[in-house]
Amino acid sequence: MRLGSPELALLVLALPFVSFLVLALIRPLRRSGRPAALVSILAMAGALGAAAALTWQAIPVARDVNPSVLWSWLPADGGPMASVGVWVDGMAMQMCVLVTLISLLVQIYSSSYLADEPPASLGRYYAYHSLFAFSMLGLVLSPGFLQMFVFWELVGLCSYLLIGYWYDRPSAARAAVKAFWITKLGDLGFVAGIVMLWAATGTFDFWPLFQAAQAGTLQVDGLATIMFLIYLGAVGKSAQFPLHIWLPDAMEGPTPVSALIHAATMVTAGVYMVARAYPLFALVPSVLMLIAWVGAFTALLAATMACVERDIKRVLAYSTVSQLGYMMAANGAGAPGAAFQHLTTHGVFKALLFLGAGIVIHHFHTNDVFRMGGLFRQRPWVGGAFLVATLALAGVWPLPGFFSKEAVLGAVLDAHLSVPFLMLIATSFLTAFYMFRVVFLTFFGHAHAEHHEHPAPPIAMDAVCRALAVLTLALGLRAALTGHHAEGPAWLPWISLAWAGAGIVLAWTVYQARAVDPARLSAALAPIDILARRRYFLDAIFAGAYRFLLLGLSQVIGWVDRYVVDGVLNALSAGALRAGDTLRRLQTGRAQDYVYGVALGVLLLLVWAQLG
Amino acid sequence: MPLAAYLVLAALVFVIGLFGVLTRRNAVGILLGIELMLNAVNINLVAFARFRADLAGLVFTLFTIAITVAEVAVGLAIVIVIFRVRRTIEADHLDLLRG
Amino acid sequence: MTEIVGFWVAAAVLVGASLAVVLTPNLFHAVLWLAAALVATGGIFLLLDSPFLFGVQLLLYAGGVVTIVVFAIMLTERLVGASIRQTSRFVFSGAVLAAAVFAAIMGFVLQGGAVARPIAGGDQLRELGRALAGPFGVPLQLLGVLLVIALLGALYFARAED
Repeated sequence: MRLGSPELALLVLALPFVSFLVLALIRPLRRSGRPAALVSILAMAGALGAAAALTWQAIPVARDVNPSVLWSWLPADGGPMASVGVWVDGMAMQMCVLVTLISLLVQIYSSSYLADEPPASLGRYYAYHSLFAFSMLGLVLSPGFLQMFVFWELVGLCSYLLIGYWYDRPSAARAAVKAFWITKLGDLGFVAGIVMLWAATGTFDFWPLFQAAQAGTLQVDGLATIMFLIYLGAVGKSAQFPLHIWLPDAMEGPTPVSALIHAATMVTAGVYMVARAYPLFALVPSVLMLIAWVGAFTALLAATMACVERDIKRVLAYSTVSQLGYMMAANGAGAPGAAFQHLTTHGVFKALLFLGAGIVIHHFHTNDVFRMGGLFRQRPWVGGAFLVATLALAGVWPLPGFFSKEAVLGAVLDAHLSVPFLMLIATSFLTAFYMFRVVFLTFFGHAHAEHHEHPAPPIAMDAVCRALAVLTLALGLRAALTGHHAEGPAWLPWISLAWAGAGIVLAWTVYQARAVDPARLSAALAPIDILARRRYFLDAIFAGAYRFLLLGLSQVIGWVDRYVVDGVLNALSAGALRAGDTLRRLQTGRAQDYVYGVALGVLLLLVWAQLG
Repeated sequence: MPLAAYLVLAALVFVIGLFGVLTRRNAVGILLGIELMLNAVNINLVAFARFRADLAGLVFTLFTIAITVAEVAVGLAIVIVIFRVRRTIEADHLDLLRG
Repeated sequence: MTEIVGFWVAAAVLVGASLAVVLTPNLFHAVLWLAAALVATGGIFLLLDSPFLFGVQLLLYAGGVVTIVVFAIMLTERLVGASIRQTSRFVFSGAVLAAAVFAAIMGFVLQGGAVARPIAGGDQLRELGRALAGPFGVPLQLLGVLLVIALLGALYFARAED
């Protein structure tokens, strides 16, 4: 275990927050657009530097050293109720680097991507970005459930704000609200779980909880229920079945926002939380089993939907859901390390995929992959970078996705979860297929319509993609050279490579060589095809539940409000009005009539005083 | 004369003033009634001061007189303003506050 | 003996003048009757060994107040162009209420026992002066402020519209 300096961690946390405060409070700066972007980017660069220094300066310590620094909070009778602070272990530090790096690159990219936005909106965008980075870093560095929950909700708020960045588009506003409410559904479980845990143990802090859990002295009734509720928070945040439906709609936000949400700041929070609280989850095998099954099922389900999606961003969104399923499956299989490894590598190449997709969309002015084609010849660098990321996602040696996916698969196999393992293997085939489907349709094949003129993507966007591609390659090569191998049977890498290869070949056959008509392929798989195209009716089920349960309940409440509550109030107000109408005659407005009143009052007082 | 004689006299003047305030239609007439009532109070104060050998009653009377003067001045100024605006000083006609 | 005679004379004048104030239909006459009532009150003050208050009563009340009221009446009469007659309203109910209040006050007065009248002694005026400069100093100053404010207020209300 490695321990970082808490001061540096606080600096990492403070820089984006200061940037947010500056942008939020100084209105002229915010509304000036590009200077606001510069402030945010500089702060983010500083935070990245601090995070790197934090990792660099970290010192190895024994496992039983408390990595958190706490300050008491919420004073109450008999000591503080909770504490805030920072928890600086290896996972947190690595996550800090990932979050600040992706945030920085996305912010640089956005300055070009959103160059046409009005300056005021651009300033708002960067203020949200800074707050987003701050919230995620706070979540990562949380030393306890309560602080984690606070930042957890802040992350949800920021994703709402950024998904709804173009709030004047009805679809964006609806997607933002959907993302917010669906994740809130999971958060209900999360908050109930941590409050129950607090009621049972009297603390929100990780360290005492983990110590007790590892020593086997944590005696909590219904721990399985509590951990299941906490897991529900991760289900919402990390888009696990059945709460995954918000993530594809979240594509209504600007593309860089999608990159940020998918790679570093939003959806990873759930995986990170489960990995962080793993010592507690380890006590309840039933919940772990559930996590693994749901994860693997989510991975497969999302992969099938990605295969039939025409919108390039939605394909990527489903692939994120699918990869999150991998991570959760690893968590459930008892390998939070593998989950976290996949989280980081996935963060890098998924950011690259989204930012590359941003350039693609910029080029074709459409999201529909069937109306694209032949981009590779015009933009070999973009194509190369996208291809690197695609190969990484498909899990091809020697890219980082290969190693982390192998670690996940090895862990699931190790835990004797054979059905989830088969689902994940199938998913890796589908992943290769749908990603190369996008690559062949977009970058190869022939251009559909003659576009007039396409300026090269701005240097900033291009440079960010190249940097991420280089980083992806470097991560992969490092893993390959250090021989960092997950345990598992020797045939495992070959199997997963073979399936990935099969997926690529199938995609090539169908969409490049056109040896097989896609229509016949979907006809052959008709039931799945139809279900996947309809998104397994999950959106419809949610909409129906919303309509019948929520709206029905609202109607009942509305009726009660209209006729019972309002009726009482109306009767009261009508009575008051009538009484006022009668009593107003007392007010003649003539001064002497009031003197009569005064004199009568004095008389009454006199009589009363004498009789009393 | 006993204290009670002064008090009865004061009470009599007081209720005469009250009667004036209650019955006069003219705003100046009402003011005159108020003057009578205040005067009756002064008689009471001086009588108590004399019979209890307490100077405070005299001081209070002085204050009452001075305040009465101020009140009359302001009251009459208001009457004049009302007259200017409404062309009447009939108290019955001044009922803008009627409910 | 002088006191008894003086009291009854002063009381008769005071009550008679007061009744005239509230009953006479001519407003101008009512003011003159008020002056008479105020002077009679001053006489009562004299009977109560307060010559200073008698002076104040004559100067401020009978002199000042009556003069102001006369001015006001003349001003409004000039504006309306006719002598102001005043009438009464609800005379009966007013009389009943006033009588009832009188009876109630009488109840208190008659309850109280006889109070001996102490011998007047000392220089009352000097004592009064000491009291006004000493314990009642601050209220006296405040009174001065009040008078100034009332004066300014009256001026403000009654100023000519421009």
